[in-house]
Amino acid sequence: MSSTSRTHAVDISAIERSTEDLDLSSETIALKVNQLKLFYGQKEALHGIDMNIPKKRVTAFIGPSGCGKSTLLRCFNRMNDLVDGCRIEGQILLDDANIYAKGTDVADLRRRVGMVFQKPNPFPKSIYENVAYGLRIQGINKKRILDETVEWALRSAALWDEVKDRLNESALGMSGGQQQRLVIARTVAVKPEVLLLDEPASALDPLSTLKIEELIHELKNDFTIVIVTHNMQQAARVSDYTAFMYMGDLIEFGTTNQLFTNPGSKQTEDYITGRYG
Amino acid sequence: MANGHDAHLHHISQRFNAELKDLRDHVLVMGGMVEKQVAEAIDALVRLDAPLAEEVKANDRHVNRLETTIDEECTRVIAKRQPTAGDLRLVIAVTKMVNDLERIGDESKKIAKSTLQIIESGRLPEGAVEVRMIGEHVSRMLRQSLDAFTRFDINVAYEVIKEDRIVDSEYKTAMRSLVTAMMEDSRNISPILNIMWVLRALERVGDHARNICQHVIYMVHGKDVRHATVEQTEEIISGSR
Repeated sequence: MSSTSRTHAVDISAIERSTEDLDLSSETIALKVNQLKLFYGQKEALHGIDMNIPKKRVTAFIGPSGCGKSTLLRCFNRMNDLVDGCRIEGQILLDDANIYAKGTDVADLRRRVGMVFQKPNPFPKSIYENVAYGLRIQGINKKRILDETVEWALRSAALWDEVKDRLNESALGMSGGQQQRLVIARTVAVKPEVLLLDEPASALDPLSTLKIEELIHELKNDFTIVIVTHNMQQAARVSDYTAFMYMGDLIEFGTTNQLFTNPGSKQTEDYITGRYG
Repeated sequence: MANGHDAHLHHISQRFNAELKDLRDHVLVMGGMVEKQVAEAIDALVRLDAPLAEEVKANDRHVNRLETTIDEECTRVIAKRQPTAGDLRLVIAVTKMVNDLERIGDESKKIAKSTLQIIESGRLPEGAVEVRMIGEHVSRMLRQSLDAFTRFDINVAYEVIKEDRIVDSEYKTAMRSLVTAMMEDSRNISPILNIMWVLRALERVGDHARNICQHVIYMVHGKDVRHATVEQTEEIISGSR
């Protein structure tokens, strides 16, 4: 199917794009997306995305269901490779190397680009082993290194004080909010460069959500964070940059301050003020 | 930014729609009340109508009450709806506009007070012509500023901002001639001082109408022009015209 036969509810050519206005010259770029197209079988789900994700900043993707934001997020660590019939054109550069180049070590890529999902998915193991898991896979078994890293990761995930006395208890006995922070600890334990968060707080109560948001704010000192969220206020609270996507297109990419007070595109305005649909 | 004056009608949440519409309606009610206060204050002075001046003085509390009511509404909308983008700018602009409207109410009350003193002194001094002229001018600006708010019209807003410069120069001219009149006859000093207070109040009404228009530009266009010159303002808004 050619790109002209896409079915859009609106005339895409009429959409005012504001991505040109974003000045990222003072930022280091962690991920460069060049003309990225993604097809699920015949259906084109992403229509040539171009964007730069700044390093050690929080970038949020917002947009209605089916707009392609999670699809795009999953491209950053090639999670879409696991989907049957999924095909990708274009490039994503991580440190100037195309992650879709032949010969890319996908396991290594996923270590460098970690991911946390909507529902906490701790392993049915102890808290300690959950966090040490990624290190053990890498062949690290020295107790001292493991101990140090587990403590560091749990502290990074603002969980250490709550669990330091019960590291050997099962992770499944923790609350949902704790489990999600444990999963974040597990992800940061292998020291990734980029953290992908796919609706990380949508299954949590408001206080756990705030803790996760605080955590995101802390984590950006060490990691580049990309977050997909349905909660626009959350995007407004946690992110430095926000990208609004609609039907597989990047409509607007700007600083969060700008996008939530004076968006450049009518569509962004309609969506964030609740007039979409 | 494309944000039509009826954009709020398309909100998915009908209750939020209704709240934003109420907010705008209440600003217009307050605007209408303040317009009437200014008109009646001028009328009372020109016709030396003491009962009318007393009425203007008394009615100021209604204006004050509306200011607090509308501010409370804004606080509620922010707390409950977390407005963003154009909605947010509308709410923020409204909290600032009601402040200007309330101050216009205060100026009307000042005019009424001066009028009562002039009536007590027994004669209408020099300057009645200037009062009528500047009064009509700023009343028109006030009406246009409310129109600009109703219609989200930054062009009208810009015209009012330009007009304010003319009012300022009219005010200065009037002041000069009144000072001359005071020097001619020292018995004029006390009543002319009262006229000067009135003119000063009217000139302030013009300033507040200009402020309202600056808030309208912020609301529609997202650009803060409060400290911009007229020329800078034109440049800032020309992008969206």
